[in-house]
Amino acid sequence: MDKERKIKVVVTKVGLDGHDRGAKVVSSLLKEAGMEVIYLGMYQTPEAIIKAAVDEDVDVIGLSYLSGEHLIFTPKIVEEMKKNNLDDVLLIAGGTFPAEDIPVMKEMGIDEVFGAGSLTEPIIQYIHEHVREKR
Amino acid sequence: MKKDNKQQTKDMSELNWEDYLKAYYEKPASFKTWSGFDIKEIYTPNDRAGKDYEKNIADAGTYPFTRGIHKNMFRGRYWTRREVIGIGSPADTHDRVKYLVEHGGSGLNTITDVTYEMGLDADHPWAINEVGLTGVNCTSIKDMETLTKDIPLDKVSWSLITASVAATVTMAQYSVVAENRGYDIATLRGSVQNDPVHFRYCGFRPACPLDLSIKMGSDVMEFCTKRMPKWYYTTVNMYDLREQGITAPQEVAYGFGIAMCYIDELIRRGLDIDEFAPRFTFYVSCHIDIFEEVAKIRAARRMWARLMKEKYGAKDPRSMQFRFAVHTAGCSLVPQQPLNNIVRIAYEGLAAVLGGVQSLHCCGYDEPMCLPTEKAHLQALRTQQILAYETGVTNVADPLGGSYYVEGLTDKIEEDSLKIMKQVEELGGMEEAIRTEWLDRQIDAEAIKRQKELDSGEKLVVGVNIFTSEQEKTTPFGVQRVPEESALRQVEEVRELKRTRNTAKLKDAIKRLRDDAEEGKNVIPAMVDATKAFGTVGELVGTVREVFGYSYDPMEIIESPFSEN
Repeated sequence: MDKERKIKVVVTKVGLDGHDRGAKVVSSLLKEAGMEVIYLGMYQTPEAIIKAAVDEDVDVIGLSYLSGEHLIFTPKIVEEMKKNNLDDVLLIAGGTFPAEDIPVMKEMGIDEVFGAGSLTEPIIQYIHEHVREKR
Repeated sequence: MKKDNKQQTKDMSELNWEDYLKAYYEKPASFKTWSGFDIKEIYTPNDRAGKDYEKNIADAGTYPFTRGIHKNMFRGRYWTRREVIGIGSPADTHDRVKYLVEHGGSGLNTITDVTYEMGLDADHPWAINEVGLTGVNCTSIKDMETLTKDIPLDKVSWSLITASVAATVTMAQYSVVAENRGYDIATLRGSVQNDPVHFRYCGFRPACPLDLSIKMGSDVMEFCTKRMPKWYYTTVNMYDLREQGITAPQEVAYGFGIAMCYIDELIRRGLDIDEFAPRFTFYVSCHIDIFEEVAKIRAARRMWARLMKEKYGAKDPRSMQFRFAVHTAGCSLVPQQPLNNIVRIAYEGLAAVLGGVQSLHCCGYDEPMCLPTEKAHLQALRTQQILAYETGVTNVADPLGGSYYVEGLTDKIEEDSLKIMKQVEELGGMEEAIRTEWLDRQIDAEAIKRQKELDSGEKLVVGVNIFTSEQEKTTPFGVQRVPEESALRQVEEVRELKRTRNTAKLKDAIKRLRDDAEEGKNVIPAMVDATKAFGTVGELVGTVREVFGYSYDPMEIIESPFSEN
């Protein structure tokens, strides 16, 4: 991908989960790290998220899950991504998950998972390293 | 020891003995409290502690109640060991309630799910995916009947956690179920969270517009004051605000600001402060800095006493007593090395007890991973029981009172909180600070600061930025799942109820609710009737929303089925 272009990330929550502190903090810190962040916020549907990702031509989709809804919504989001040929977009998730679910989420199509208690640097580093591989 | 059991361990000679030596001589990198106060090496009688004892501190049970609201504190009664429970269907939650009662819990405490809090029925298109994920779904009175089945409501103290405007429905449901079973609601003991104003900061803004939050929150408070005198009609939730990353003094100042939104409204309605204030309660966080949390609680008690007496002219000492439950800080827990959370929770529970808590919820150690498993729930309850029965902390009221440090920190937190309250007052009061999103900006800025403190290592958390290790592949005591069939059955039961109930009777009840809301009356009596007619949370809240000019459905998908009225 073009090195001059800023990495573009959409950060969002799906469904009714109202724990938005993490999503907001990560959005701000990715911005500080030089990325362009579109914060969609709460109450999004898989369809709306993917439409935003397509319209904005993003490099990364960041999902925030804190209410045990990750296994319900992830397949729906991945399906929408496939429908819209977004195979080159990096899909990452943050929030509260049992360790057992992390391989399941990756199997479903999430590239990387950052649980509660993550530091910011590894997230930024991961995006920088993998966004180029994908695009 | 067989070597093959310890494949990852290096030989003794290969270990980094230089680091070992450094660790031996290591001293703490900073001397600040969690909230950022610089702390001196030692506190002495010169640090104000002990000065004006009668005026500023006083014995427990005596104004300004800095040392506790009861003279003898836990000698008179332990705190209530009250673990929050909310999972899946009412039947699932009922089972867990039974389990914790069997193991020595002393207060019931159930929390409704995100769909109910949003004011959506289980069959709402947005609800179907998430029924029971974060609490119990309680769409209709039938659910409340299942949840309370066979429980002697005259013998228990039940904390009903519904924070949003749906707390109006919760109170209607609970009081109808109790009356149907022959109990006099005036004798019921317990509490309802009922703090819709704060809930806009927890992702429930569509359900909790500010005017409706104050109106409906105050309706519950007024109804309970008149009809259920033993009921605590709100627990203003400063815990949830603290979880966003704010500091201890901000927690108290913002919590009090929100409390005053309701108090001012109840006074506007003509209630006397001493008529209702004795039943006002708070939900407080206990974070990991033990002394700061104790000081915060002591400061809050003194500030509340003075606020009620000096600003509101309360005369009854009970109006001046800051009553509170503690929820140990969920946000202090991490998934890395998860068993460490048990230790964090124990320290936080200790702070609550040293602070003179009335009722305590200790988190499950698995809070940053999933809802508590049965084992995690039991561990949390056992943590409370070890505190209560083994450690001796119950022997004396306010054990840290008179500590030069804790008294000094109490003064410091009070000073900072009062400064913030003054700032809010100058902005035009808390309602205005909320309306202009001043409070949003404060909270957002603090949340970013907390993450940066972790990133820079200014704040240390074992397993996160110090003493890290490879992430575990499994959760130690297993994972709590919400049974999918419970959610599906719940949705189906709500659909069935809507097909079979007496529509004409319900329409009459909804019409009365709409009329009462339009006439500015308290909506709870009409909600009681609508609940009896099997009106659901979405229908009851939606009807009142429309009267106040909001969409019937907070998610703006479905229309009111009662519009032709």
